[in-house]
Amino acid sequence: MSKVIRYLLLSLFACLFLFPIAWVIVSSLKPQSELFTYPLTILPRHAAFSNYPTAFASGDFPLYFANTAFVSVAATILTVLINVMAGYALSKYYFRGRNAIFYAMIATLMIPLQAIMVPIFLLLKSLGLLNSLWGIIIPPAATPTGVFLARQYIQSIPNSFIEAARIDGTGEFTIFRRIIAPLAKPIIATIAIFSFMWRWNDFLWPFIVISDDKKMTLQLALANFVGQFQINWANLLAMTVVTMIPMIVVFILLQRYFVAGLTAGGIKA
Amino acid sequence: MTRRNLLLMAFGLLVGLLPMGAVAQGSQKITLSVLWFNDSNESQVFQKVMADYLASHPNVRLDMQVVPFNDYENKLKLMIAGGNPPDVARITNNQIAMFVNQLQPLTGPVFSDLAAHYFPSSLALGSDSSGRLLAMPTEATANGMIVNKTYFRRAGIDVDKLSLTWDWDQWVAAMRKVLAANPTCKYGVAVDFTPFRFSTFLFEAGGRFLTDGGTKMAFDSPAGLDALNFFKMLHDQGLAPASVWMGSENPQEMFAAGLVACHIGGSWLINAYNNTVKNFDWGAVRMPKRKIRSSVPGGKWIATFKDSRHKQAALDLIAAFSDKKHNEAYCRDTFNLSARQDADIVYPSHTADFKVFSSDLSVTPAYTAEDWKSPGLNKIYSYMREQIVEGLLGHQTMAQTAANIDAQGDTFLR
Amino acid sequence: MKRRRRTRGTFEQTAAPLLFLSPNLLIFSLFIIVPAVMGLRMSLFDWSILDGSRFVGFRNFVRLARDAMFWKTLLNTFVYVGAVVPLLVAFALGLAVLLARPGRAMGVFRSLFYLPTLLSLIIVGIAWRWILGFDLGILNYIIRALGGKAVPWLTNGRLAMSSLIFMTLWTRVGYFMMMLVGGLQAIPETYYEAARIDGAGRVATFRRITLPLLRPMLLVVAVLATIESFKAYELIFVTTQGGPGSATKFLVQYIYEVAFEQDRMGYGAAMSVVLMAIIAVFTFAQFVARREEFGNE
Repeated sequence: MSKVIRYLLLSLFACLFLFPIAWVIVSSLKPQSELFTYPLTILPRHAAFSNYPTAFASGDFPLYFANTAFVSVAATILTVLINVMAGYALSKYYFRGRNAIFYAMIATLMIPLQAIMVPIFLLLKSLGLLNSLWGIIIPPAATPTGVFLARQYIQSIPNSFIEAARIDGTGEFTIFRRIIAPLAKPIIATIAIFSFMWRWNDFLWPFIVISDDKKMTLQLALANFVGQFQINWANLLAMTVVTMIPMIVVFILLQRYFVAGLTAGGIKA
Repeated sequence: MTRRNLLLMAFGLLVGLLPMGAVAQGSQKITLSVLWFNDSNESQVFQKVMADYLASHPNVRLDMQVVPFNDYENKLKLMIAGGNPPDVARITNNQIAMFVNQLQPLTGPVFSDLAAHYFPSSLALGSDSSGRLLAMPTEATANGMIVNKTYFRRAGIDVDKLSLTWDWDQWVAAMRKVLAANPTCKYGVAVDFTPFRFSTFLFEAGGRFLTDGGTKMAFDSPAGLDALNFFKMLHDQGLAPASVWMGSENPQEMFAAGLVACHIGGSWLINAYNNTVKNFDWGAVRMPKRKIRSSVPGGKWIATFKDSRHKQAALDLIAAFSDKKHNEAYCRDTFNLSARQDADIVYPSHTADFKVFSSDLSVTPAYTAEDWKSPGLNKIYSYMREQIVEGLLGHQTMAQTAANIDAQGDTFLR
Repeated sequence: MKRRRRTRGTFEQTAAPLLFLSPNLLIFSLFIIVPAVMGLRMSLFDWSILDGSRFVGFRNFVRLARDAMFWKTLLNTFVYVGAVVPLLVAFALGLAVLLARPGRAMGVFRSLFYLPTLLSLIIVGIAWRWILGFDLGILNYIIRALGGKAVPWLTNGRLAMSSLIFMTLWTRVGYFMMMLVGGLQAIPETYYEAARIDGAGRVATFRRITLPLLRPMLLVVAVLATIESFKAYELIFVTTQGGPGSATKFLVQYIYEVAFEQDRMGYGAAMSVVLMAIIAVFTFAQFVARREEFGNE
């Protein structure tokens, strides 16, 4: 009974939640002239599937997809690796300055990125990272959020696991690879999802770094549909729907690890 | 600071020297970096129009980068701060005002010959305070009014005839009639949510933002208050929707949906409505007058920078793009008004509506351009907008709004 | 504990944390700390991108104290943060508790609630303006059709703030829910089994087991939500643009306006420094208040 109520409640809530997104998808099928009519119409009178091929033809979208996918995947691998390692070091080792480092990381989260955009640009320029996809991938990879999440999660893994391995003579890196990484799977999946979605949707970093049409990412291309006075609604909505699909796929794929982490017993200490 | 500049310079020099090897080997290949933003498909039209030029200059290649308009200014600033601006850039008049010291002046006989054919207001917006030309106009825009002709017809008003001579009061009376005759029409007029658009009222009332010479604010004047109070009256009496200036509605969408009878916007609306409006008859009409009839000139320009790498090639390209043939082709295909006085363009449709905007523009005083090219005025753009809204909301009197705007503006005018 | 570990550590155990940390620290220092320090320095200058810079000492900070718009936007920011953070944490926790279970259906629901975070903000802005718009909005359309009076969702200062808080919840709750789901799954099943054997009810289990064990992750969520909402800018820019008037204008938008539109980067940097200090106070207050979950020393 309570299960039925829970499902009902969740379904109702989900419908409310999804309404704006459904509206975007339905609108992406309307011809430009039907978007702003009053009284409002929910469904398109003449579904304009042609919005999709038209939007695709308005730029080199296969290339933008490839660029964005490369950036998102490479950045996610790098982010997960360095952040989980850092989170582990900050939670299970004791050394001087440990807390100072952690606090410094959290503190930088508080800086509005827009405020330091100019220094970042000058720095990237002097490092020769401008106009390269690596310039988008590497600089924002050390996310304080990722370290914070990894640290808090790994803290809850009992020390006895590590100690037991040490007594068996296992090396520190093997401990990380064989014990910590598998146990941290749910948080690794979380960080990976966050990182991938953020990179896929990020506008500011590509905007700062890229000044070559051949290295454009999807979000830069999408924003180009919004002009000074005019918005190309049909193209914008259609491409938005298309760009969401890979994210949904990635989300569903990574979600399995949540369940896997749970049934593998998580921590049966 | 200086050390970093030195480093940057050294770096720039190094990068600058790298291609020298290739150049020395003969065919002087030049790749011009072009920074552009799009309202619809201008970057494509630009490339199409310049195809013949590129064919006759096989050593020149264009490297186009299209940046979203909302972030265009920051991108340019970053590139300038980093010491490598693009070779060619499409810019607005606010940006000309902002980059006065960075833009390459367009001097020499080629440009003075070209300039002789352009509208003075477009040239004025493209020049610095001493009158030196910094950017060539590519298209002109004008503030003006588009009306829902179907609504006016139903109210028994021949708006084409009336609008030839109407003043503010006659316009307001006509809007009331339209509202009474059309139950689906909720408002008389929607005005775009920008101080630029509002300034149409200011100039028509006989006012100005700046004193002659542009050294001080002069907005707080009887004419300025007349414009502000009229604007407030439009909102207070429900003739103008609160949801545009005090909310989030887009006037273009409201007009297309048939909720408003008139839209005060810019000439590019012809292009927009050509695509979106299918349910009623619409067209451009003259602005109603107060003391004078006026539009506000605007537009887009093309320019190069003092620090651009291929300045001469950029200047040649800009000159070629600004001749009659190229300019007409570009304006026709982007559906824009030309800034050339001798342009004779037949648009695919709505040629008559473009003529109405041109006619408004032809009676517009030159000082409207002088005001809007002031860097100081452009720096208080958001502030002005906010202050006008505070007045509309009734949080302060319009007299207070005018005084605040002048005070803030004066801090930026030196 | 600390002492004992350190004396017992082999060389490998001493070097390991540094090696684990170094890639992160390297990127972090180079790309975050260095520009941040440059920004800090900027706050002492009259710094313009286009017209060069001039050292002015603390004058930017003095000016700030008398800047009415600074105080107004700061106050708006506090109102917003004060409402968003507790609501966000509460909703994220509620959803996470409901959804942190195995099973296909739960996976589907998690995906659904996470969806809004996937939209680019341009689209979020457009979608909500279409829904909440006074004249063209769907919501008012429905209200009118049912014979009601249209509500000025974004046209009235107070309502615009509430709408903005609601929209923030909509776009962000999925993100924090995911963190908490991760946290909930780290709680060993054995604890729940033990509670069941003891005959503890659902509420008691939640209060005595779930909440305490979830605290480290709740702390992350609370801290991140606080920082994020203090820095809120993009969502506002695409929906209310700070309006009506300046009713929903927050500090970061004002910083942006000053730094870029007015080209007063130095003054903007000074405001950023103050904002950072304020966020720091709130953040570390949260750390101190929950010291026991923060570290395991």
